[in-house]
Amino acid sequence: MVKQTPDVGTLETEMNRGFLHILVLSLLENEMYGYSMVKHIESLGYQVEENTLYPLLRRLEKNGWITSRWDLSTDRPRKFYSITPAGRAIRASLLDIWKTQNSILDRVTRITKITKENSNGQ
Amino acid sequence: MANDKLETYLEEISHYLSGRAEREEILNEIRSHILEKAASGGGGSLSDEAIAQAIAALGPARRLAERYAEDRPIIAPAYKRYLFRYTTLLFAIHTVLIILAVIFRESFIIFPILFVPRVSPFDAILYLPMAFLADLGLVALVLYFITQSGKDIALPWPKFGLDLDEVKTPRRRFWSIFGAAAGATIMLAITSFGLHLLARYNTIFLYLTQTKEPRPIFTAAAGYYLSLIIIIFFAASTLTLAIKLFTESRWVDIVSNAISLGLIGLVLRQPLDNLFAINIPDKLFSWLKPTIIITLLIIAVTIAYQLIRDIVRVSRHHLQK
Repeated sequence: MVKQTPDVGTLETEMNRGFLHILVLSLLENEMYGYSMVKHIESLGYQVEENTLYPLLRRLEKNGWITSRWDLSTDRPRKFYSITPAGRAIRASLLDIWKTQNSILDRVTRITKITKENSNGQ
Repeated sequence: MANDKLETYLEEISHYLSGRAEREEILNEIRSHILEKAASGGGGSLSDEAIAQAIAALGPARRLAERYAEDRPIIAPAYKRYLFRYTTLLFAIHTVLIILAVIFRESFIIFPILFVPRVSPFDAILYLPMAFLADLGLVALVLYFITQSGKDIALPWPKFGLDLDEVKTPRRRFWSIFGAAAGATIMLAITSFGLHLLARYNTIFLYLTQTKEPRPIFTAAAGYYLSLIIIIFFAASTLTLAIKLFTESRWVDIVSNAISLGLIGLVLRQPLDNLFAINIPDKLFSWLKPTIIITLLIIAVTIAYQLIRDIVRVSRHHLQK
């Protein structure tokens, strides 16, 4: 049996988990319902799997980071979500982590580039 | 029609979410999403095609339901190592009790963990695999409850017992091949000699007397029956060693041990009374009878232990892949 190595798609799914948390918590600063979030995210040039988004919203709500309410005033009932104060705190922490990671990657990439240029020049 | 499709899809998801308190809420959420997306795609009207497309985008019902259950493993990864370690220990206790049940002809109950009925030696052989499965199930159940409780419980890690973690693939060396070849040759010679004796005397259990002809130790029927079993055992061993020249697969040992276990079971079925063709004093026979049974049981337990260990190792090896 050949051992399978994860492809970019698999790694992207893993990376998306954290990113999607930050993205959803950021979007929900304004109250939104599920499908409107899907459309909004698509308009930003990013694809979110619908079967990932809804379970994620449920987990965020379970943790008390977002809250929801049903709007029954229209033909089709819609479930609206919005961020809670606890969610804002988590979002801030996640953004800090993300920024730190980005800056580390940026520095590492620059150092690698300089080292490569130096070795090529010699 | 469109509604039927939607309801069938939701029913399927509901089936997979069975037992979850928030099931209704999840189903309403999915229904709302599908209707919203279908209406958006169909320009406000809910066509069959639009509903089918919205459902297809969410994927198969089982996979969608699994996404909601992702955070609830049956047994937490941290406890998975305990499953076989604890099962091994429990099975060791179980095996000892089975041996005691056979020797003392008593049943044992350690409520609610173990129940060992009064069994005959042959029943005991058949009972062992069932006991292992029961032990595995019990340990899995306890670990399941610990996982579901969500508490961080530090379980003891006994260092003794069977270490199934050390799964080493046997290395192919000259001496191991030489040993298998030599063993196969010797076993083939013994099997052939056994067959020769069986063809000539109808038994392989003989003793030499002052006269030229050797005499059978056992009565005719019992002697033939036991000889046949022993020769099959020798033939199986020959075949096992021969196969080992070409492969290192653990399955060879598993099949070989399963056959041996079955043969010991057949030997244990043979009643010991009126077995001997020679005259044995009652006092000696009363001592000989339990000795034979205990010896056979010890051999059976050793083989069963190796058999289960190999099955577990093969299973774990496949799971790791």
